Amino acid sequence: MRIQAILALAVLATTLVDLPAQGRGRRGPRPGDPNAEAATPPVAAPAAPAETKPKHYLAIVGGDVYLGTGQRLTGASVLIADDKIEAVGHNLTLPEGTTVIDAKGKVVSPGFVAVIGAGMGAGRSAPFADAVNPFDPEIKQGLAAGITSFLAGSTGGGSAPSGSNAVIKLAYGDVKAMVVQEDSVVGMSVPLPLADREKFADTVKKAREYLAAIEEFPKKKAADANAKEPPMPGGADKVVAILRGKARLWVSLGGGGFNPFGGGRRGGGGARANDIEGIRQALELSKLLGQGIVLQKPTSAWLVPDEIAATGSMVVLSPRDRMPADPTDPDHTGSNLASAAILAAAGVPIAVTCPVGMFGGAGVGTGGILGQDLNTPQIDAAFAVRGGLDNRKALRTITLDSAKMIGADARIGSLEVGKDADVLILDGDPLHYSTFVETAVVNGKVVYEKGKETLYSHIDRHTDRQNAR
Amino acid sequence: MSLQHTTLRALLAMAASIACAVAQDPATITDRRPVAFTNARILTMSGNTIERGTLVVKNGKIDALGADVTAPAGARIVDGTGMTIMPGLVSAWSRAGLGGQAAPRNDAGASRRGNRGQQAPMPMGGGGGGAQNRAATKVIESIYPKQEVFGDLLRTGITSLALTPQGSAFPGLGALLRPDGKTLEQLTARDDAFVMVTMAREQQTKKLFSETFEKAKKLVEERKKPPEAPKPAEAPAGDQKAGEAKPGEPKPGEAKTEPPKGEQPPKPEDKPKPDEKKEGQGGQGQGAPGAQAPAKKPEAPKDPNLEVLADLLEGKRKAILQIDSAADLLHWEAVAGEVKFPRTLVVSRHDTMSGTMDVVLDQLKAMKCAVLMQPDLSSLPRSRFLTHPAKRLHDAGIEVGFLLGDNPNTTRVLFFRLMELVRSGLPADVALRGVTLVPAKALGIEARTGSLEVGKDADLLVFRGDPLTPTGELQSVWLAGREVPQQP
Repeated sequence: MRIQAILALAVLATTLVDLPAQGRGRRGPRPGDPNAEAATPPVAAPAAPAETKPKHYLAIVGGDVYLGTGQRLTGASVLIADDKIEAVGHNLTLPEGTTVIDAKGKVVSPGFVAVIGAGMGAGRSAPFADAVNPFDPEIKQGLAAGITSFLAGSTGGGSAPSGSNAVIKLAYGDVKAMVVQEDSVVGMSVPLPLADREKFADTVKKAREYLAAIEEFPKKKAADANAKEPPMPGGADKVVAILRGKARLWVSLGGGGFNPFGGGRRGGGGARANDIEGIRQALELSKLLGQGIVLQKPTSAWLVPDEIAATGSMVVLSPRDRMPADPTDPDHTGSNLASAAILAAAGVPIAVTCPVGMFGGAGVGTGGILGQDLNTPQIDAAFAVRGGLDNRKALRTITLDSAKMIGADARIGSLEVGKDADVLILDGDPLHYSTFVETAVVNGKVVYEKGKETLYSHIDRHTDRQNAR
Repeated sequence: MSLQHTTLRALLAMAASIACAVAQDPATITDRRPVAFTNARILTMSGNTIERGTLVVKNGKIDALGADVTAPAGARIVDGTGMTIMPGLVSAWSRAGLGGQAAPRNDAGASRRGNRGQQAPMPMGGGGGGAQNRAATKVIESIYPKQEVFGDLLRTGITSLALTPQGSAFPGLGALLRPDGKTLEQLTARDDAFVMVTMAREQQTKKLFSETFEKAKKLVEERKKPPEAPKPAEAPAGDQKAGEAKPGEPKPGEAKTEPPKGEQPPKPEDKPKPDEKKEGQGGQGQGAPGAQAPAKKPEAPKDPNLEVLADLLEGKRKAILQIDSAADLLHWEAVAGEVKFPRTLVVSRHDTMSGTMDVVLDQLKAMKCAVLMQPDLSSLPRSRFLTHPAKRLHDAGIEVGFLLGDNPNTTRVLFFRLMELVRSGLPADVALRGVTLVPAKALGIEARTGSLEVGKDADLLVFRGDPLTPTGELQSVWLAGREVPQQP
């Protein structure tokens, strides 16, 4: 009831608010691009062999389209050319030969992005591109849960930036498309001893000097042909990658999830990394770098949302994580279901993942019954809604904002023109627990159809609903 | 006197023993006489089935067969009423008689740790047991000939048996065995029957493939160049391995002229033998460059492994390419898809976790080769829904054959497994060709065996009833025209 009410409000709000902003989703015959595109082939036709292959068009027509940015277009269409989104909007003119999927009465959403995942065709270690398994049955399970991309591998940790990981796309049957990018996340842990903090500050300084020198280098080279390119300072490569915007720094705040199977509260070897002190230390790193970082599961973050927002940092959390307050320690206030809502209200981007220690792992994976348990991204997002998060923003926590955290938002996470065509057709609200993925499209190819796979084809949602009435 | 006596006695004893041996071995006698199977159902594999006909065996070959053939005078007549005759089984992929890993490599690694650094010519350092180019290593070197398994397999119907080197990337040269041999020489029909290539979805292997094929291509280019003045002398010597391949090509024919038993397989085996010994003792499987170097000092030593691969790319050799899953096939395509060489694909198991081969039919068709797989149904991943990869491949126009296993117990139930495939929709003749003619082609021996045609070896299976019915019973196995005794 409540979710529906929120949804209704959200729908009203989006349709009202976003009407003027629909430039992003094009309406009707598009003014600029299509003409340009229509014009280019004839010009280029005689000489350009690259253009000879006609584009393959796929259109998902008439659904309620959630863009992933927070907007929603009712009864709109998504036009896909090959593996990219060509247009989103109402009354699109479809090119000849377009394959049409009717999505009337359905919900169309960007594929979900799981910030921490495992399995699903990804190898265990780098180089990921050489070991991906595009026929892993877990890929179908992941797609059935709505996941189209995830971060595989290690997000690192320790006193210096580390980690080896890759953004994996569930491109069933396509080896080359499975790895979106490698090592776009590097990780550290707090709390750090003073010496390590100073070392990190020093590395950042060296990295900045290096970058400055590199920028100067072309001038130097012009002046002196023998000038040597400045060498990468030892151990600074990861920091350089962060400063160049090629990688995001994730700061791990230790465990701290409530484990219902025993163990109680046990975070990072007794260190209270989840406490405000730990969070502030992490934010210090952010200030050193002069850019936002990603805080991984900061349980007490809801107490200092403005401090986090001020640094431009983001937060990965699990709304379902439970940690009781420590009565002997006033700073240790435990978790809060409303964390996501509070942080979002302060302007902190959130990505949700599933709790530590539940159903076999800290991330979304398929070590068992993914999709049949509650270990799916949209269920965790729904918990955030339960805690008061705006329904529109809640979808961002598993799409665009998730993609931002893993540094892949230029390609995935929303239905915007030019982005990868990773699209879901759902039979209901994206965050409702009884919603199924009917069709999953990855890179413009239909890779999952509920009716054709053995996983859920036997569950007919509508009959079951009627039975329930 | 006494001396003469002794000699005489010895001679007598010898004569007696020879006579005895001859008398005890009925085969040697019957061999001279043609054998005619009359009124039998004959599954030729290459042509139509002869519902009621005669098959004549003479000098180890099929002399005549057909519905209107009459048994020659003096022939031993076997009444084939109610019997079915088909060609002997061909196993193109087995580890029979070989335990686990290819032995030479293991020995080298274990006992000569110190030499490792020099021996590994590939820049693959680090990952122990990783992919290496050992294409010239002969699997036959690691076999102990006096094992019952060969005879046991023969009695279950396998008349041609391949021996497959094991390991990643280029584990070596496979052998073709005559399973009735008692010594290494008798067993070995060919010691370089095919080049084994094994794909794995893994960085080292992929890197090795792309690098090695590149080198082999360059070598092929070099060979094409007209030889410079000093080269002619060098080329034949250096081509030792390649030279083997050339006489090796008409091998089927030459094997044809080879008398049934006890004959030493000719030249190619003889020449490399001392070499092999050396390698074996030195434990230098891939250290063969060293072994060859002395033969032609003036030039830089050739890498025999690379020579073998260059032969392969030139089409002088055949390869058996093992790719176990659809995922691996796509990775192979990415790394070596455009490298062309004569090949047969082996899929050693139905890997539902990485895709069975029927999910990549288009890519498989593009490989343009026969596929040998397990004679079993598979299932959809993590489900009980059965799938029929063999049928799907066949329906897509891909030639399908089967792996017979290296264990006599597995081979004994082979026909039951085939029955299941046939019951599930695979045409019966495809199933039977898949265990005879298709694997024979994979080994390049289709001119000699694998089907029933005049002039081919009389490798026969005689069934009471139909082989693809539960009541069909293998009654006798004939290898090159001689009946294989039921007891070892």
